[in-house]
Amino acid sequence: MVSNSYQYEDTASAQDLQPKQLRHLAWRSLLLQASFNYERMQAAGWLYSILPGLKVIHKNKKDLSKSMKDHMEFFNTHPFLVTFIMGVILAMEQKKEDRDAIRGIKVATMGPLGGIGDALFYLTLLPITASIGASLAVNGNILGPFVFLIMFNVIHFGVRFGLMSYGYKTGVKAISKLKEGTKHVSRAASIVGLTVVGGLIATYVSFKIDYTWTQGESELNVQTDILDQIMPAMLPLAYTLLVYWLLKKGRSPIVLIGLTVFVGLVGSFFGIM
Amino acid sequence: MLMEAILIALWAGIIGIDLYNGLTHIHRPVVTGLVVGLILGDVTTGLIVGGTLELIWMGMVPLAGAQPPNVVIGGVIGTAFGVIAGQDPKVAVGVAIPFAVAVQGLITLFFTVFAPVMHKADQYALEANAKGIERINYMGLGILFVFNAVIAFLPIYFGAERAAAFVETVPQWIIDGLSVAGGIMPAIGFAMLLRIMIKVEYIMFFIVGFILAAYLELPILAIALIGLAIALYDFYQNKNKQGPTPKEEEIADGI
Repeated sequence: MVSNSYQYEDTASAQDLQPKQLRHLAWRSLLLQASFNYERMQAAGWLYSILPGLKVIHKNKKDLSKSMKDHMEFFNTHPFLVTFIMGVILAMEQKKEDRDAIRGIKVATMGPLGGIGDALFYLTLLPITASIGASLAVNGNILGPFVFLIMFNVIHFGVRFGLMSYGYKTGVKAISKLKEGTKHVSRAASIVGLTVVGGLIATYVSFKIDYTWTQGESELNVQTDILDQIMPAMLPLAYTLLVYWLLKKGRSPIVLIGLTVFVGLVGSFFGIM
Repeated sequence: MLMEAILIALWAGIIGIDLYNGLTHIHRPVVTGLVVGLILGDVTTGLIVGGTLELIWMGMVPLAGAQPPNVVIGGVIGTAFGVIAGQDPKVAVGVAIPFAVAVQGLITLFFTVFAPVMHKADQYALEANAKGIERINYMGLGILFVFNAVIAFLPIYFGAERAAAFVETVPQWIIDGLSVAGGIMPAIGFAMLLRIMIKVEYIMFFIVGFILAAYLELPILAIALIGLAIALYDFYQNKNKQGPTPKEEEIADGI
């Protein structure tokens, strides 16, 4: 191999993105989940959101293709905070960072931001603003819905557009410092990324056996009394590794999605999940 | 009733998109109550039913990708039923819930059958075909619109009570099973990430992350920070060991 697969062909930094271009991308990020699905989740919407930026950055057609292909990989984060990741990643693309490092940063940031976003928006902002709006509405006050929408969206759009430029500036600054030793950066990014993936599996894959075995007086709950005693989150880990192994054997993700639906239906039919 | 049903269907289509895209939250029942009330000519009742549904639905948000009962269809059918039948808002909720649960099952199915489209998207990405990627996203939006509009139209045109009886004939185990499958589904995405990222030397960090979440139940942010601490340590260790310019030889050891 002559060219290195981690690197872009054209390694010269592209021009800075202008605030106007960044704003355009922030608008596009509204469609992050337009093509949501269980195989890649937000991947195609993520690519859609950053695409005009990538086109400006990668004039070399082969590099654009490489970059677009990388950004079709699994992606899932909070739809309000995604602009921060967009800013950082575009700064890295612009500096033609190592592609492994770009992937590592993407994976390392998407999980934590997902958790923060849920806590901030769905568990705090939404209940507060919606209950104010609803309390007006149940009294027949027409202002209720408007009060809710204005309060909610001032913060929503403020965060979305603010984080876009903040992420971009942060990215540009951090990268110029880390430019020497890209390989170490990409290794560090992979370490954070994989630690997070390990945590994500235990946190977000929900796979439980709901069956209690009764014999005379004694009851034995399969999940809490057996499986959790051996290892918590054992089934999520086991299932993920099974899928990993099947993927490695060349099974298509579609088949695996079908398998998962089948598992869910069978488990539910027999009342054990 | 036809005109009203069409207008409500259009609204359901728009907010069906907003539930996942845009997220201006015009899809919340408190807003839907006003709009459906306007369409059906009784703003006050619409507001009251919408506000009541909002308070009940407050906790039903898409946390960590888990899908709660569908607030779009639940809100539209609940408020429409409340206004048309002049029912107590609590009864409207009872009518809305089976629809909301059944529709969420259908959405799970949609997210499943949309997965093969990603292979088309891969191909477009490889060809650097931006238009193709955009088309796929617009197609997703179109499907969401039509799906929600149709689902909202039918029960309002034919009468919510008759429709509710029909929804209840779908066996519960199918609806439950789809929701169980939806909970397991993220495993596939994580497995695909592992497939791309894992190298033998990194397995230990994966194990650490898992233990921190499974045994210590730390939130993901804390796990990311611990990962970052390890990464920083590793970064400066390597940097000091190899001197400032490791750039040349590093390129040799690719995949």
